[in-house]
Amino acid sequence: MLPVHPQRSTSPWRLAFAEFRKNKLAITSVIFLFFVTALCILAPWLTSWDPVKINIRFINKGPSAEHWLGTDKGGRDIVARLLYGGRTTLWICFSISLIVTSLGTLVGSIAGYFGGRVDSWLMRFTDLVLIFPFLVFVIVLKAIFPDTGISIFIIVVSILGWGGTARLVRSKILAEKENEYVLAAVSIGCKPSIIIMKHLLPNVITTIIVQAILIVAGMITVETGLSYLGFGVPANIPSWGNMMSDAISPEVIKNQWWVWLPSGILITATILAINFLGEGMKDAFNTKK
Amino acid sequence: MSQSKQSVGAPLLEITNLKKHYPIYGGIFRRQIGSVKAVDNLTLTLQQGETVGLVGESGCGKSTAGRTILRLTDPTEGSIRFEGQDVTSIRGEKLRQLRQNMQMVFQDPFASLNPKMMVGHIVSEPIRNYNRIQEKALTEETMQLLERVGLPAEAYYKYPHEFSGGQRQRIGIARSLALKPKLIVADEPVSALDVSVQSQVLNLLQDLQDDFKLTYLFIAHDLSVVKHISNRIGVMYLGSLVEIAATDSMYRSPLHPYTQALISAIPVPDPLKRKERIVLQGDVPSPANPPTGCAFHPRCVHATAICREVRPQLHQAAPGHQVACHLYTT
Ligand SMILES: Nc1ncnc2c1ncn2[C@@H]1O[C@H](COP(=O)(O)OP(=O)(O)OP(=O)(O)O)[C@@H](O)[C@H]1O
Ligand code: SF4
Ligand SMILES: [Mg+2]
Repeated sequence: MLPVHPQRSTSPWRLAFAEFRKNKLAITSVIFLFFVTALCILAPWLTSWDPVKINIRFINKGPSAEHWLGTDKGGRDIVARLLYGGRTTLWICFSISLIVTSLGTLVGSIAGYFGGRVDSWLMRFTDLVLIFPFLVFVIVLKAIFPDTGISIFIIVVSILGWGGTARLVRSKILAEKENEYVLAAVSIGCKPSIIIMKHLLPNVITTIIVQAILIVAGMITVETGLSYLGFGVPANIPSWGNMMSDAISPEVIKNQWWVWLPSGILITATILAINFLGEGMKDAFNTKK
Repeated sequence: MSQSKQSVGAPLLEITNLKKHYPIYGGIFRRQIGSVKAVDNLTLTLQQGETVGLVGESGCGKSTAGRTILRLTDPTEGSIRFEGQDVTSIRGEKLRQLRQNMQMVFQDPFASLNPKMMVGHIVSEPIRNYNRIQEKALTEETMQLLERVGLPAEAYYKYPHEFSGGQRQRIGIARSLALKPKLIVADEPVSALDVSVQSQVLNLLQDLQDDFKLTYLFIAHDLSVVKHISNRIGVMYLGSLVEIAATDSMYRSPLHPYTQALISAIPVPDPLKRKERIVLQGDVPSPANPPTGCAFHPRCVHATAICREVRPQLHQAAPGHQVACHLYTT
């Protein structure tokens, strides 16, 4: 169809990818995260143990051939709970990151591109969201409505969490729009929506992606922290945070390492890997040839 | 395609007393404490098909003038008429339609192309913005444009970072031609390029003018660049025109002391023809705080009392030769 054959052109994205591939730590992290995510998603097919149902005959048993990492105080298989718990936690954190990034990008890019009064109103609103004590809000909400489920948790945390991304995107757009190609876009008749989506966002998207990735890691901390304290995911749903809250008594910490050590290691490793991935992407995108 | 009704005999572009002042904010309350008078009382007329060179030192407001004329920034005062139609304050879709007729070639060949876009898409985007055209026809048209500006058709599939400064400027030129505009403001299109490449790009612009029936406002900070391409030359100092004349008249008999200094600064190869170089004293004053009267008076050897108090207006000193200087107002 095309008159001339497209050569393999070195698009800026391809260059960044080539750079990223040189970073061993980042690549290892990607592979690790891929496996963890895949195992969690495939949990129902990988283990036949029920992560929720109480099994009185197997309470607090150490690792065995049947239960590789033993069982918890409800007699539930730790491996099954790790996988199903990862499903919950990762799903929550990805969703929050996605919503937070979308909202933040929308607000930040509109404020940054239009500037002036639009900018000052949007940023006042953003400041309001930023200073809102969101942990306190989540805890109070949970205290008043103990039955709030996962979706409410995702929505509340997202709605209160986009401020940082909005500020970041705004400052990036403000700097980027000084380039003459934006003026050129105006002069060739691009509408503001096109200028933002086709010209500005592709040039700041790398920062946004890195930020989104770091938000996932941050949200894992929030989920585990809140659930540990009993204010996060409802106790009857397995999540990494709820598994950590099983280790709240010194008795368990001293005598039943299998209840908290595997989940502790998995959570830490996942958060670290996400950060390495984020840093690796940042470096790859920032290398100029 | 054109929306405007051309009234008979009207010049393509008529700029009257154009001003662009940027506010300066300061103090604790970020109140306006002054303004940068980037363009101050610019009056200029462009006839269909001619090239007017606009020359002046860095910071004298050339780019701002070009951008304001193309309505890329809003003028503070004055009027802009395009083909007889007042376009000073049109906005929205009306302004967007007008943009088809007036395009810009930018100063910086690196910053003026979106680094994340394929060259083909950069050049075809203007057409895509106005016309519903079939993808295949658009690709073909774009490749023809690329070839017309001296690039291979395969450039379509490459990215800006794969090209040199001169080639990038050609890409920018192709983009500005895509809509077949009537007016092109070329903002120092060659000043960022190697000297060896400059004349190639200048020649290209000259060829394109004939092919596309273009009118150019050609901005440069150096008289020698615009000499061969311009029919008329305007000299700017601190936001306004101090002299405008046909190119040969300007070179033969420059009237304004500032123009005389600029012309004497052009290197002449023949040592016998070399005149004494007039070296300007002092620096360019800040456009935020311009001198009273004639803005040039602190640097002018002919300055008298009236120069410090009364701002000279642009007036006819010889046929087709206008100057803003008290030396010629008798
Ligand atoms: N957006 C802006 N806000 C405030 N001041 C500005 C802005 N753009 C330009 N100026 C000021 O207006 C004056 C004229 O700038 P302009 O870029 O038009 O000069 P120029 O003649 O094109 O110079 P150059 O040869 O360096 O390109 C300068 O003093 C500049 O600092
Ligand atoms: S008006 Fe006076 S100061 Fe200004 S250029 Fe003429 S002689 Fe010099
Ligand atoms: Mg300029």
